[in-house]
Amino acid sequence: MSFLTPLFFLGVAALAAPVLVHLVRRTRARRVQFPALIFVRQVPQRTIRRRTLHNLLLLLLRCLAILLIVIAFTRPFFSGGSAAKDNTAAGATVILLDNSLSMRREGMFADAQRRAETALDDARNDEQIALVSFDKRYTVLNRFVADKNKVRLGISSVSAGWDGTDYEQALRGAESLLSEIQTTGPKRIVMISDFQMPGWTAASATFKLSNNTQLTTLDVGGNNPPPNVAITNVEARAVVFGQKYLDNLVVHVSNFSDTPKDHIQVDFQINDQTVEKRDISLNSRDSRVVEFTGFNLNEGANRCTVNLTVGDFAPDNRFYFTLRRETPAQALIIEGASRGRSDSLHLQSALTTNDDLPFTFALKSAGSVDPASISGYALVVLNDTGPISSQLADALVRFENAGGQIIVSTGPHTQAESFNASLQTIAPVTLREAVQTKAGESVAITEVKFDHPIFEVFQESGRLAAANVIGYFRSEPRANTTVLARFEDGSPALVEGRTGKGRVLLFTSSLGPSWNDLPLTPLYLPFIHQMVRYAGTREQNAWSRLGQTFTVGKRQEQAPPAIDTPGGARLSESRSTPDGDVLVTAREPGFYRLRYSSQPDFAAVNIDGAEGDFTKINFGEFMAGVTGGAGSAEGTAADRNLSGEEVEGRQRVWWSLLLVALLLLLAESFLARRTKMVKMIG
Amino acid sequence: MTPTTPARFLDPELLARIGSLELLARAVVEGFMSGLHRSPFTGFSTEFTEYRQYNAGDDLRYLDWRLLARTDRYFIKKYRADTNTQCHLLVDTSASMNYAHESSVTKLQYAQFLAASLAYLLNRQQDAVGLVAFAEKVHTHVPARNRTGHMRTIFGNLSMLEAGGETHLAESLHQLAEILTRRGIVVIISDFYDQAERLQEAFQHLRFKGHDLVAFHVLDQNELDFNFNEPVLLLEDAETQEQMPVLPDVVMSGYRERMKQHVEDMRRCAAANRVDYEMLTTKQPLDFALFSFLSRRAGK
Repeated sequence: MSFLTPLFFLGVAALAAPVLVHLVRRTRARRVQFPALIFVRQVPQRTIRRRTLHNLLLLLLRCLAILLIVIAFTRPFFSGGSAAKDNTAAGATVILLDNSLSMRREGMFADAQRRAETALDDARNDEQIALVSFDKRYTVLNRFVADKNKVRLGISSVSAGWDGTDYEQALRGAESLLSEIQTTGPKRIVMISDFQMPGWTAASATFKLSNNTQLTTLDVGGNNPPPNVAITNVEARAVVFGQKYLDNLVVHVSNFSDTPKDHIQVDFQINDQTVEKRDISLNSRDSRVVEFTGFNLNEGANRCTVNLTVGDFAPDNRFYFTLRRETPAQALIIEGASRGRSDSLHLQSALTTNDDLPFTFALKSAGSVDPASISGYALVVLNDTGPISSQLADALVRFENAGGQIIVSTGPHTQAESFNASLQTIAPVTLREAVQTKAGESVAITEVKFDHPIFEVFQESGRLAAANVIGYFRSEPRANTTVLARFEDGSPALVEGRTGKGRVLLFTSSLGPSWNDLPLTPLYLPFIHQMVRYAGTREQNAWSRLGQTFTVGKRQEQAPPAIDTPGGARLSESRSTPDGDVLVTAREPGFYRLRYSSQPDFAAVNIDGAEGDFTKINFGEFMAGVTGGAGSAEGTAADRNLSGEEVEGRQRVWWSLLLVALLLLLAESFLARRTKMVKMIG
Repeated sequence: MTPTTPARFLDPELLARIGSLELLARAVVEGFMSGLHRSPFTGFSTEFTEYRQYNAGDDLRYLDWRLLARTDRYFIKKYRADTNTQCHLLVDTSASMNYAHESSVTKLQYAQFLAASLAYLLNRQQDAVGLVAFAEKVHTHVPARNRTGHMRTIFGNLSMLEAGGETHLAESLHQLAEILTRRGIVVIISDFYDQAERLQEAFQHLRFKGHDLVAFHVLDQNELDFNFNEPVLLLEDAETQEQMPVLPDVVMSGYRERMKQHVEDMRRCAAANRVDYEMLTTKQPLDFALFSFLSRRAGK
């Protein structure tokens, strides 16, 4: 048994009170002459002795009641760990030490280290002990050793990190470690953490400890988590091509506490300069979205942050991201040779109405295009070109293999055989016959993949089906291609394919008004823009989550750039792709500085926003989930030896003691009324 | 002003203020008698009771000549027997009789008042009254007389009685049975702290000698109730000085049962030996005792 507040044992001195009262208040019997003593004598005199015993019993009851009250104030609790330690042979223990971001709260990790050392002290000297730190991953700091000093060094060497928490992963690691050691003694896992709810979800839990593994949890988080407001996410388009950022920059702010928060200032900064400030209020357990738009960006990479001015857990009050303003790349529209009026009129018009497209377009006929110049473009649009020269076809194949983007549309001038022959290596489909609907009839575009970036803008309206198509090519998709939309007869309408590093999007109807009325509808402009954006977008994110890996490309330079971590240290450990790009795993929130010789760039890394939710895990569910629960077979480890305060709080022995003391006092009162506490003389 | 009633003078608490037993006895008896002016009880001495018609052979001494003169009828005046009784008042003076709880009248004082009143009453009826006081043994004996000045002797001896010594009631009664040679009425005033079996033998002895027995069992009310305020008492036997720690609230019920049993035993023992038994507490007015005495004697 242990005591949370042993100083209250000084209250044992109060035991003197009933004894003193007993002595001070003892009554001297009055001497009275009485004639009928003969009958008094006949009354059984054991009652006198019983009364004396009653008095002693009263004294005992009072002393016991006081003693119980004193013990209750010391808040005793039973520690299961020591019992388990004593009755078995030496076993193996894995100490799981949580060093996730939430453990950065003031003094918490130091407390966790102390608990770990206490757990270490409690272990038998011949017990094999391993030390593992964990956040979303787990790191084995010490494999099984019987030398406590080595483990102690391991405990002192670890510090709180930046990543989120994954209890299941940690338990898997510990169980895996325990499976490596052969012992007849008990196998224990001592998990020291703040036990926050986001670290374990009952619904997605799939792991249970084996029956012979005993789990002991030591909670350093306290019973009342502090309030916290955090930025959990920022949605931003990482690359823009115009000076003004026209999209909505969306900032998600969450209040993880049960108390409302007013006057939270959201400060949006670009390159350390405040762009805009907002004042918001949040109800308890509330989330809000703050949007920024219409701000200007410098050329190149812009370091952007959103800061909250609330005096709580600091790491999640700042969110880092980068917005790049890049110069649009050159794109080429190739149309059929020698026509009086350009078939690409609608297409060209659509592509020049927006300055935030990743390309600037040039229009050429198939006959006037120099195949050697193709490689100088980033995007080529083949708009119903008809038969093309073999040189051009070869140039397009090379272009796609090198990473070029190609958009192909068919039309009345397209010949299936010629098309299949010249572009068979990169085309995602094999064209069959051309289909012309009867006069007055049309087919609609159906089976659209609305989750694809091209069509996601049409998801809510669903108006894409309103387009009337009167002509198209039946086609047969090739392997490893994706049909993004079909016509009513099931024939592919838009197909995406990749053979080289580039991409080919093929529309089996026309992008002009020849075979459909798309250019005459409001759908045309977003459809074209989405296709072009998709073709021109490099997969770039405005920020990465801690633990994720981001790529740092060589670009036009000979070698990848040197990388500085947010802390200012030069990154030494990195992996490279076959192309020479560098893969960096984000370990620290902030801006990683990419030291390109031409222009510096930045990669933003943020913590897991959910880590700011300090809500306590449901211990009942957790223990049941990871150990099998109350219904599991006997021997399942369900020993909940939590922190002293936690154990005491859950066992509430003091409550029982006070209850017993109350009952004793009631019994004392009852006895006292009956016997009238006296001390006999003579 | 509160009207003075005769009974008020019979309250032992008030009587205790009267220094002279003679005055006390007179006040008691006169007050008592004045209260009985309509009483059917006529005593047991020579006294007219009724008329009946003369029959041949009747003693002419009892013929009512005055009635014959007035009405010319022959009627015989009927009287109760002329007793010329001797009455001995036996007063227990053992130490236990010196007990009074929350009262100014001890049992012995009450016995004195009662004895004095009875003596006065009997003397008023021309009966010879004697006094015997005893504790461990008979220590005062005033033979029964019926003459002028004898009452002063009785009262004088009564007033000098003091409590002390142990009670050997049965032995004392046996002793008295041998002393009192002439038949008469024996009035025993005691707290009767003796075994009923032994007392029965003593009663039988006195009855065998031809005495009519009247027993006044005088007790303090607290001897019946055992009602003490103190949580604990060190009771000391008045006669033996033996001490005993007692918890009244614990002992009370058992004691009451035993005392009740003792009174019942006494009552049964008295009934078995044709002893007129009356239990009195020192709170009860003396007329109660006198009334009891006279009513019981009326039936003899």
